[in-house]
Amino acid sequence: MRKLVTLLFMGFILAGSLALTSEQARAADPIKVGILLPITGKHAKFGEIEKLSFEMAVAEINKKGGVNGRLIKLIIEDTTGKPDVGRSAAEKLISQDKVVMLGGGYSSSVTAATAGVAINKGFPFLVNTGSADIITQPTAHTPSGKKAAKLKKSLKKEKDKAKIAKIKKEIAAFQARADKEVERILPRFSIFRLNPPVSEYASGLEGFLAEVVKPKTVAILHENSLFGTKGAASFEKSAKRLGIKVLLKEGYDAGAVDFKPLLAKVKSKNPDLVYMVSYILDASLLMNQSMELKMNPKLFAGAAAGFTLPEFKENAGKASEKVVSATLWHQSLPLPGAKEYFDKFRKKYNRDTEYHGAEAYSAAYVIADVLKRAKSHKAKDIRTALAQTDMMTVFGPVKFVSYKQMINQNKLETYVVQWIDGKLRMIWPKNLSKTHYVYPVDWLKERK
Amino acid sequence: MKVKNRRMMTAPLAALLFLLVFPLFVSNDYYLHLMILALMWVMIGSAWNLLAGYTGQVSFGDAAFFGTGAYTAGLLVNHLGWSPWWGIPLGGVTAALLGLPFGWICFRLRGAYFALATLALNEIMRHIATIWESLTDGMVGIMILQTFYAPIDSPIGELSSKTPYYYIILFMAVFSVSTVIWVMNSKLGYYFLSIREDQDAAESLGINTHYYKMISLGIAAALTGLAGGFYMNYMGFIDPETVFSLHDISIMAILVGIVGGVGSVYGPAVGAFIMVMMQEAFRTGGFGLLDAFAEYTGSQFVATSASLITGAHVLGFGVLVVLVIRYMPNGVVGDWSRLMKFILGRFQRQV
Repeated sequence: MRKLVTLLFMGFILAGSLALTSEQARAADPIKVGILLPITGKHAKFGEIEKLSFEMAVAEINKKGGVNGRLIKLIIEDTTGKPDVGRSAAEKLISQDKVVMLGGGYSSSVTAATAGVAINKGFPFLVNTGSADIITQPTAHTPSGKKAAKLKKSLKKEKDKAKIAKIKKEIAAFQARADKEVERILPRFSIFRLNPPVSEYASGLEGFLAEVVKPKTVAILHENSLFGTKGAASFEKSAKRLGIKVLLKEGYDAGAVDFKPLLAKVKSKNPDLVYMVSYILDASLLMNQSMELKMNPKLFAGAAAGFTLPEFKENAGKASEKVVSATLWHQSLPLPGAKEYFDKFRKKYNRDTEYHGAEAYSAAYVIADVLKRAKSHKAKDIRTALAQTDMMTVFGPVKFVSYKQMINQNKLETYVVQWIDGKLRMIWPKNLSKTHYVYPVDWLKERK
Repeated sequence: MKVKNRRMMTAPLAALLFLLVFPLFVSNDYYLHLMILALMWVMIGSAWNLLAGYTGQVSFGDAAFFGTGAYTAGLLVNHLGWSPWWGIPLGGVTAALLGLPFGWICFRLRGAYFALATLALNEIMRHIATIWESLTDGMVGIMILQTFYAPIDSPIGELSSKTPYYYIILFMAVFSVSTVIWVMNSKLGYYFLSIREDQDAAESLGINTHYYKMISLGIAAALTGLAGGFYMNYMGFIDPETVFSLHDISIMAILVGIVGGVGSVYGPAVGAFIMVMMQEAFRTGGFGLLDAFAEYTGSQFVATSASLITGAHVLGFGVLVVLVIRYMPNGVVGDWSRLMKFILGRFQRQV
């Protein structure tokens, strides 16, 4: 027994000293940056394309000499697409790996949860994909503020004077608490976002619908997730603006295998437009099953995410043909380096890339730029440097501004793409696109 | 059930002492975070063990009670503006209030049928939380501010905002384990055991099995609900997928119980630490040791295998769980003597 204990003890010391020496060796050279991505789990495909892009960008930056003579080292942690695991990963990166800042952040719910860790410490976090508006809204982190807003709405309907006075008193109490909370959170609000919020994903598509398709009715299908729910809700507002009647708005569970009952319901309502907010597996399955059901609306449109990945075409086959989707980026855009990035990615990994990859690639360049400008690599100085960012990337200009209750938010245009002959082509806005859109589409003929 | 000899008390007391002083020596937020999660699982595992291990009513739906507790805390903040800390005690109450009528209806079912009913309860609660958007905000989830913040820009690792959470959950975990000990040493415990061993025989002795099963479920649900309330406070973000998750909460509760040892007081406590630490160790490649080793040796082979092992963490973790269940059916605590004999026997033979 004693020998066993000695042996174990020696093993621990060995492992400990090993960890220590490597720690010392590391301390001198590279700057460590933590990246949170879903490498396994249901969002693995998005995580993979972003991981490859991050690695490619950092390899390029390091080849050119890194940041002020120091190399950048990425530590990529797997969030598995779950909020609580994402939180553990963020804690590990900050406390154990001692990274100087966080990047990545895929899927709205994981990003919202990990943002909490960053805010608690005032630790800089450059989000490049998590898109729910609330991520960069400090007031959304303060429930009292939300409650006050809700009460204000209910006040309009109320007529009884005694009740109005009571509600007003309540509002004042909630507002006071909200102000206190915001005051507490603002100095440490360290979340910066490179990509547009989900409420703007469809703004490019709106133009296309208004000028070309002119649908009268729409059916909205969305995944039951933070991203899906918010995306559907904001498209409902767009539809109202455009005078499109919403016949149906329904959520489904992520990872469902049979959409036919749902699609049959859609088919029976016969909408002009079917708008879907889905991640990758659901997106391809929805298209496949809509083909089997011989649906023939004027247009199938997706809200980015699953509809632009190369895997969408691979999984959905000819059911993906002529499907239109909102997007945040396309290689044909007149942005410096966009086409080069696309070609380099293809050459290196022998596969296509799309907007998620571009987001990650640009985020890496923004991180390098921030680290170069920051006075020191303390959280405070990096936050300041992030706030002063003003640069051009392959994803578009990056500058963090405040609007619509969001702060530290990058404002960008969104575009429309269409799958034409198995290739993702940009079709809108017209003045920027090299390819003419294919419309109207006879889906039955298209999918024979 | 009485803890008769002193020796049985030394190990748990030593462990408790260790846990009490742990934050004094370790101020690394990451390790504290893992300890907090493990202690939370001690609560959930102990509660599950009371119902499944001692009363013999296997539940596949612990997430229903956990999520109810968490949502109680979240909704109190969102709609009434109360402090989320009220959500901990009230979360226990609401979870019990959910469990009791459910038990009253479903304890007419036995064995696998009851397990299926709990599974259904889990799914029902998840759907309610998803669909009832005006109350719960659906999949948008509930985000609240944490109570304890470290002073802004304090050097990482020097001042931790986690210490208060750590002591709160440590107290709660000790409370649940003592509750289980207390219950199992009281008359109730004997009723529970008799129900587990043979429900018909218990009935024939005049035990109102339906009633006592409900009590067992009520206590288990309340303890799980307390843990849920704590989760909301600590994590600051919940959505239906997370807290009503079949895989991440309900199944994990069962695994914690089984790996630690079903029907032993300290089994789930040990199981919770094993499961949380193992899961994290697999996800991070031995807490980064694999990577460090690869860098130390500088060998491409080690680096590649390290990234492969880390990449397949879900698989590795699953295989480990299967092996534990296959070779240690009574869990680590239940089969402790066998395990020690196995290791020591090997070792002695080699010597």
